[in-house]
Amino acid sequence: MSGEDCDTLDRGDNDGQKPDKMFTLKKWNAVAMWSWDVECDTCAICRVQVMDACLRCQGESKKDSYGKQDCVVVWGECNHSFHFCCMSLWVKQNNRCPLCQQEWSIQRMGK
Amino acid sequence: MKSITLLFVYCVLSQHINPLSAGVYVPSLAAAAPLVLPAPPPTYFDDACVPAALQAVAPLLPTLAPALATTISTSIAAALPPLLESALPLVLTSVLTAAGPLLEAAAPCCNCICIQYSLMMSLKPRNVDFQETWANLKETVAGVVGLRSVERSVWNTRFSDVYALCVAQPEPLADKLYDETRNFLEEHVSGLLQRVKSNTSLESTDYTDGLLSRYVSAWREYSQGVAYLNSLYSYLNLQHVKRQKVSDAEIIYGSAATVSCAEHDARQLEVRNFRVRSPLALYQQLVLEPYLSAAASHHARFAAALLQQGDISHYMKHVLEGLEKEISLGHRFLHLSSLEAVRGCYERAAVAAHLPALHADIERLLREACEDHPHAEQRRNDLRRMYTLLKPLSGQGALKPLIEAAHAQAAREGHALLDAKHNKDEAHTHFVNAMLSLHGKYSKLFAEVFGGAQAFVGALDKACSAVVNSRGANESSRAPELLARYCDCLLRKRSSAGSDTDTDDKLAAAIVVFKYVDDKDVFQKYYARALARRLIHQLSASMEQEEAMINRLKAACGYEFTNKLHRMFTDVAVSADLNAKFQQHLRDNNLSTNTGFFIQVLQAGAWPLGGAMAPLAPPLQLERPARLFEQFYRASFSGRRLAWLHHLCTGELRTRYTPRVYHLAATTPQCALLLCFETVDSAPAKELRDTLQLNNETWGRHLKPLIEAGLLTAEGDVEGEGEGQCEGTLTLNLNFSCKRTKVRLTCANAPNQQGGSGGGSGSGSVNEGNECVHCDDDRKMYLQAAIVRIMKQRKVLRHTELIQEVVSQARSSFAPSVAMIKKCIEALIDKQYLERAVGTLDTYSYLA
Repeated sequence: MSGEDCDTLDRGDNDGQKPDKMFTLKKWNAVAMWSWDVECDTCAICRVQVMDACLRCQGESKKDSYGKQDCVVVWGECNHSFHFCCMSLWVKQNNRCPLCQQEWSIQRMGK
Repeated sequence: MKSITLLFVYCVLSQHINPLSAGVYVPSLAAAAPLVLPAPPPTYFDDACVPAALQAVAPLLPTLAPALATTISTSIAAALPPLLESALPLVLTSVLTAAGPLLEAAAPCCNCICIQYSLMMSLKPRNVDFQETWANLKETVAGVVGLRSVERSVWNTRFSDVYALCVAQPEPLADKLYDETRNFLEEHVSGLLQRVKSNTSLESTDYTDGLLSRYVSAWREYSQGVAYLNSLYSYLNLQHVKRQKVSDAEIIYGSAATVSCAEHDARQLEVRNFRVRSPLALYQQLVLEPYLSAAASHHARFAAALLQQGDISHYMKHVLEGLEKEISLGHRFLHLSSLEAVRGCYERAAVAAHLPALHADIERLLREACEDHPHAEQRRNDLRRMYTLLKPLSGQGALKPLIEAAHAQAAREGHALLDAKHNKDEAHTHFVNAMLSLHGKYSKLFAEVFGGAQAFVGALDKACSAVVNSRGANESSRAPELLARYCDCLLRKRSSAGSDTDTDDKLAAAIVVFKYVDDKDVFQKYYARALARRLIHQLSASMEQEEAMINRLKAACGYEFTNKLHRMFTDVAVSADLNAKFQQHLRDNNLSTNTGFFIQVLQAGAWPLGGAMAPLAPPLQLERPARLFEQFYRASFSGRRLAWLHHLCTGELRTRYTPRVYHLAATTPQCALLLCFETVDSAPAKELRDTLQLNNETWGRHLKPLIEAGLLTAEGDVEGEGEGQCEGTLTLNLNFSCKRTKVRLTCANAPNQQGGSGGGSGSGSVNEGNECVHCDDDRKMYLQAAIVRIMKQRKVLRHTELIQEVVSQARSSFAPSVAMIKKCIEALIDKQYLERAVGTLDTYSYLA
């Protein structure tokens, strides 16, 4: 959409003869969407979508508006995923996955 | 004793005391006491200096009092043991009370002196011949009350007489003294009455005979005399009468003493009530009431005559003038407290009695004041007068018709403004400008005419919100859409760029309208969609303005409302950062994307993009940067999934086969399709479609603009509508030519009508109807959540209260209908969140 900068560079490189290329791609404005790589997109603890901040963080973030990345997702060895905030509270009471009752250990953290 | 006091005073004065040094002269004082005490009485002192001296010491007395007390008691104890018991308290009180009323100078000092005298002579209770003493006393009392001169020595003797009578043996004669004095005063007063009356009768109508001045002089003389008498009797007051008085506590709780003397109490209470509650009862009865009743009938005549004379403007003008006159009259001749009554009397007669006449013309006045009427200014003055007149009677609802008419007038004009002819394409600007001019005009008018009174501001708000949210039958209000479009236009890049501050002002003004919109959630959807478009396609005029607008919305509606807008905004900022990092990464690793590459990574859930994640097998030219970026992204973050939104991506291609170079701006699928012709000049449509892995619908949408622009030529059915057979062939138009060198294909059929909130759900183009369905679903969720929240807190609640609370919670987002709330309650009962409380019809209780 804003390819004006390219114009001056390449103007006149076409001089009438049969080109070796029909088109050149000068610019690509790509749009992608990211989401957590989870099987279930709802946190089973707070029942909020994992893409959104957990309930607790939503309540607190009324003070500052940015910094969504604070409320990340955590995956257990069982491959179940929850909000990290929710899970850290949960393991204080019961160190098992709320969904499959396996011993909870963190496989990876969202970043 | 007096000498001690004065000695003390002297010490104090001569040493420029500070209170701390009191201890220094206290012993010396004690030593001096015996010497001074027997000193000869009165003549010893220069009376004139006493008040001055005491006055000087007064501020110090509170601090000195304890020291003084001990000094005096010890000195007296040393000097005159037999007198001690009865004298001491008296002395102390005299010294200390002298400190209080010092400012009144003479009288208290006399007291003081007198007490010293009696002390000198004898404080012992003794037998007193009442008749004889009273006879003497009476003479002096007559002198005092009559303000005749009384010799000091006589005064002093009488003072001690009062004391002697009060403490007389075998029994105190205080009561008797009290009664006799009262009798005397009664006689005296009736004498005064004769003097005041002189020889005119009370019925006389001759106002110049000086009755009033005689009365006033008698009153002055008597009250002053009685004040002096009070000093003379101060012992009686202090010791005797005070003891007889009922204290507040006794009045409230009763006491043994007061029970025995019910009649006495009753009288005292009566006196008290008289003094406290209606100090002006006489004035009110004799002056105010007749005055008011005469005034009332006068006003009534005046008002009636005025109504006959001219129209309502004339009437109001003169009534207001009359009111002013009346008030100033009251100021001059009546007690201040009666002004209210005077005013009320006038208003009853001139305003309240003619309310219907006043109300009758309200509508006409308002209309003429608001329109371009030749008398608009005059009408405004009329309305101002009307408001001034009616305001004091607002308690009786006198203002109500005015407020209602103001509301109706504003609403009427608002509807007229909105219905005015306008260009369909400019509906949004027309709408917002109409609302702003309405709001501006009436705010100013009401502030000017009605002093910005709350009731009228409220009426204007109500009218504005009625106009903004007005809707035809069976259709939803267009306000949210129009307003969102208005904002969108302002925030977009434009060729004719207005100044920034201008745009800022307009956006700030849009908030004024926004506050009146009921369906704020619908607005939010429109706004979010427009914002997404602006951000993704980089159409925003200024990011500062975008942010400022989001903050304004946040201020109006709260965090919840703008949460997603904020997240979208953040994504854009994060993306810019990400691009820089990616380019750095490429440089560090000697990699290249072979093309200008810019990416925006959006977070799922925040963008209203619909789920049209059309699959696409991108050609090599696109795949390389995509793959590189995916690698980079995976290394930078963990646990994230990346999905390409090809329908939102745009590419820029240059033609190299045409005499002129054309710049083609196109969607990714279009770019991909064109890039297929790199090797062949024509190909079967079906084959191309399968190569790109596009589904039928997207294929058609992206293909059409290419054919329409003349870049591709089609033979046969290429779009595959209907049965999905696309047997046709597509050929690259090698002779493509166009007037402009820049060809924009994205806009031809940009899938900008994608609906749905949040990622995943909803696809296809969504029209207005769908918009509402979506909102309805969201609203139901919102209401149910609100109901559960409320019930969780309250446990048991009546139906009407629940509805009220829900409505007040939802107001910041939309105006829920009661029917919808009821449905939500039913749904929650079905889901067993709530139940109807046992034995009641209209109460719910929460099930934990």
